[in-house]
Amino acid sequence: MASVAKLEPRMRENFTQSLGMIVALGSWAMMFGALFFVYAGVRTSARVWPPAGLPALPIALPLVNTLVLALSSVMLWIGTNALIRGNRKVLPRYVALSFGFGTLFLVLQVKVWKDLWLSGLMPSTGIYASVFYGLTVLHAVHVFAGLIVLAVIFARSLKGTYTEHNAIRVRVAGMFWHFVDVVWIFMFVALYLL
Amino acid sequence: MKISPRKWLGARRALLPALAGFAVALTTAGLSLAKPQPGTGISLPVDASADGHRIDWLIGVTNAITAVLFVAMTAWIFIAAIKHGEKHTAKYDHGTSKRSMFIALGMAGSVFVVVDGNLFVNSTMDLETVYHNFKEAEKDPNSVLIEVNGHQWAWDFRYAGPDGKFNTKDDIVRLNDMRIPVDTPIVIEVASTDVIHSFNLPNMRTKVDAVPGQINKIWFKAKMTGEFDIGCAQHCGTNHYKMKALLTVLSKEEYAKWAKETSAISERAYDEKDESAHWGWDWKDI
Amino acid sequence: MELQPIHPEPTSFIRKWIFSIDHKVIAKQFLWTGLLFLLFGGTLAMLIRWQWAFPGQSVPALGPVFFKDTGGAITPPTYTSIFTMHGLIMIFWAITPILIGAFGNLTIPLMIGARDMAFPKLNMYSYWAFFISAVLVILSFTSQLGAGNAGWTTYPPLSTNVGSPGWGQTFAGLGIFVTGLSSIMGGINYIVTVIRFRAPGMTWFRLPLTVWGLWLTAILNVLFVPVLGSGALLVTLDRLAGTHFFITGGAVGLKGGDPILFQHLFWIFGHPEVYILILPAWGIVGDVLSFFARKPAFWYKGSVFAMIGVTVLSAVVYGHHMYQTGMAPMLGLAFEILTLAISVPAVLLFVNWLNTIWRGSVRKTVPMLFALGMVFVFGAGGLTGLLLGTISTDIYLHDTMYVVGHFHLTMAAASFLASFCGLYFWFPKMFGRETNPLLGKLHFWGSVIFITTTFTGQLLAGYSGQHRRLYDPFQYDYITHLRDINRWTSYSAFMLFIAQIPFVINFFYSVFAGKKTKENPWDVPTLDWVACSSPPVYHNFDVVPTVVRGPHELGNPEVKKALGKDWISQTEEMPGEDLAHAAAAE
Repeated sequence: MASVAKLEPRMRENFTQSLGMIVALGSWAMMFGALFFVYAGVRTSARVWPPAGLPALPIALPLVNTLVLALSSVMLWIGTNALIRGNRKVLPRYVALSFGFGTLFLVLQVKVWKDLWLSGLMPSTGIYASVFYGLTVLHAVHVFAGLIVLAVIFARSLKGTYTEHNAIRVRVAGMFWHFVDVVWIFMFVALYLL
Repeated sequence: MKISPRKWLGARRALLPALAGFAVALTTAGLSLAKPQPGTGISLPVDASADGHRIDWLIGVTNAITAVLFVAMTAWIFIAAIKHGEKHTAKYDHGTSKRSMFIALGMAGSVFVVVDGNLFVNSTMDLETVYHNFKEAEKDPNSVLIEVNGHQWAWDFRYAGPDGKFNTKDDIVRLNDMRIPVDTPIVIEVASTDVIHSFNLPNMRTKVDAVPGQINKIWFKAKMTGEFDIGCAQHCGTNHYKMKALLTVLSKEEYAKWAKETSAISERAYDEKDESAHWGWDWKDI
Repeated sequence: MELQPIHPEPTSFIRKWIFSIDHKVIAKQFLWTGLLFLLFGGTLAMLIRWQWAFPGQSVPALGPVFFKDTGGAITPPTYTSIFTMHGLIMIFWAITPILIGAFGNLTIPLMIGARDMAFPKLNMYSYWAFFISAVLVILSFTSQLGAGNAGWTTYPPLSTNVGSPGWGQTFAGLGIFVTGLSSIMGGINYIVTVIRFRAPGMTWFRLPLTVWGLWLTAILNVLFVPVLGSGALLVTLDRLAGTHFFITGGAVGLKGGDPILFQHLFWIFGHPEVYILILPAWGIVGDVLSFFARKPAFWYKGSVFAMIGVTVLSAVVYGHHMYQTGMAPMLGLAFEILTLAISVPAVLLFVNWLNTIWRGSVRKTVPMLFALGMVFVFGAGGLTGLLLGTISTDIYLHDTMYVVGHFHLTMAAASFLASFCGLYFWFPKMFGRETNPLLGKLHFWGSVIFITTTFTGQLLAGYSGQHRRLYDPFQYDYITHLRDINRWTSYSAFMLFIAQIPFVINFFYSVFAGKKTKENPWDVPTLDWVACSSPPVYHNFDVVPTVVRGPHELGNPEVKKALGKDWISQTEEMPGEDLAHAAAAE
């Protein structure tokens, strides 16, 4: 505690904000953890996967998509770091790029769903389709929420709201976006690769 | 509305012994429960199974020990509150001396070792030798195998019939009517077609959930003939309370006669096209 | 002090009382809503008890109003809704808001010396999310097919369209999800506030036990409520989107979802949940026993570590709810060992309470009586849990009324009494007025006596084999002789309901016309009483206090000699001491 007490007031404020987000993300991780638990339960009890007569999941497009979302994360990270160093001008550019990649991710994800849907995989088909759609849709909802946050940050950054003094606000929002990205990587490995 | 605290305290003096008396009465009731008096009043239901006495004994012993602990706890609270009341000078003690920590840990530890230890050892032995010991039960050539299917709100029973195979023409299929021979291991596999039920034989001291898509297994041996209730213990919808079946324990001869006759009747009633009637499954070995 | 600036008090009515970010106002909002739902859930309990005493007979007073179609009698489908909603409402909309929402919000900042929560706005959202969930659960009652009726555990497939069509169950499920969000938001706030906003000198081992209890509860909330959220979400998807997470095709062979997976999710949350509800109660009682026994809490650190131990273990014992689901024997054994192991810290905590009141100078104030009552019912309830944690005895007792009696004693009765203990204790702090002790004592004796008899009656009925959740238990021949005990238990329950009347009178009378309180009516040393006024000003502390000692410095003879009183506050220095300076330098 002693070292914390000596921090600058702004740093203490930053620490509190980050701590709040870390706790929140821990909670979120438990929610996704529960979903993965269901998936693991289903997979370990299934003898054949995918079940006979149902299409296998594609790998190529989701792999591209994983890279797209990772890029989106990286863009936001670069922009935030620039802001922390005092470079306020580049922030809107990187946030826009991040937003763009995020949107591309959703578009490609919709294409994955559409292809599978057309080949006869619907939620009511059974547990195989249920876990696939359930997990990916719930993740996509988080991506969508993240995009709204990014849009707000973009608009505010154009107005010049953010400075290196309040960069924590962008950073905390960024933590959520990176979290969504990390969850996707787990999801990609679990659903598509394993 | 105003009563001085001293007066109020005096008025309650009479209430405290009354409450202590109440606690003692409660404990006495608890202690008397430790000895089952079958079928009457507050007691465990009649134990009709060969091994139910193991569970009854464990419940009884634990109740007796916990009754003692309960009395000690109640007495402690009352004595502390009355004897060490406002007039008593509080002892300044953080309870951090080695001795007091030792006492606190000792009390917690000894309760754990005695009560929990007894429960754990006996429970594990009973499960090993009886409740989970399906090999022993199925090894007996006379043992009766029954498939049970729960659905809203009734129990279906299926016996393999003379050919010893399930889901064939000669199966005995009964609705809410299970008959078994006395002194014979009865092995039961339970499943469900709609929601989760729980197959409960209170008089045989056994119970297992009926889960859709999953086969659960229990076995028991009846030690007396008679009629007993079969219940559903898990909430399964509107008429959960009516999901009741009848267990009839017959003598071995009567059972053999009944099985033979009923198999013949079932065979005549067999309808190949009635898919829903063929809910049976291949016997699952564990 | 830059972290805790003094904000100007809002002046508009809406900002001050409705969409307030002041933790004290939010605490009151939770309290009012919680008490309202306590009455609601209690009324549902009375209906259940009526049904068990007189199955199918027309309900006096309430029947003609609510069950007009049947001449005042409860029908089987209505009955399933009643017990389902009784469980859900009591747990999520009565105990949770009162113990965690109200006391958490009120006491954490006051007891650790903070001017507000770390995230005041999040705190406001937490209450309003809770409010929305309350609306959802009430909407559930308006459904044509009845409110949620799959039991509070909402086990699928019964809770899917297979077993409970209609939007009653859907709204109940969504209500659970939204109230979960509220709990998580509150939990984040509590965790961060305690870590970051403790006053100078307020080390971890100087925190009152109340704060420890609430903090550990917050951790459990944040970690395990999302698991329930996932479960509720997947069931909702099964209901609305046609997925098959927990629905299987048929008896055997057809491969669909797995209903047992939901039970795992539910109890991974559900078992910590009982500790979520009881940890704040343990904390409050731990403090109150010490305050009114005028003696330090016995082995404070032991109690803290016991609570931490229970918190850690709570997540890994959940399997004992599932012994009869066909669980693998080895897994069952592991859960049994862990379950029995959790009794060690629990008993340690209990023994510490008993030692706290021993050789004390017990002031039998209303909060103290409730604390003692809580110790009594919790002890009784805890002892009855042993038979349920053991696999072989649980075979017989599982899903009987014995389980109902057990968890009502531990979880419901204990947290109920602890809630009122806290309410009477902090009432002067919240409203600046005192409650009437005579009415309070009447309320206490009525509550504790009838709580004990009611739930003992349930234990006895369950011991004799009566199942839970039966519309008419006497359908079964082997329990027809239990009619009497069921009636007596019901009479006792009705008396318990009536015993709450003194509280209602006392509460409303005291809020508006009670005697103005002294600053520290109980002579206790914690910051909430010694460092801020009753009721506190908007920013709680004009000067954030510096803490120099633990929360239970009572009965010290040296203090008595030097200061002439039997206690010394957490901020007070003995003559010649210079602890504050040292604390500030730290």
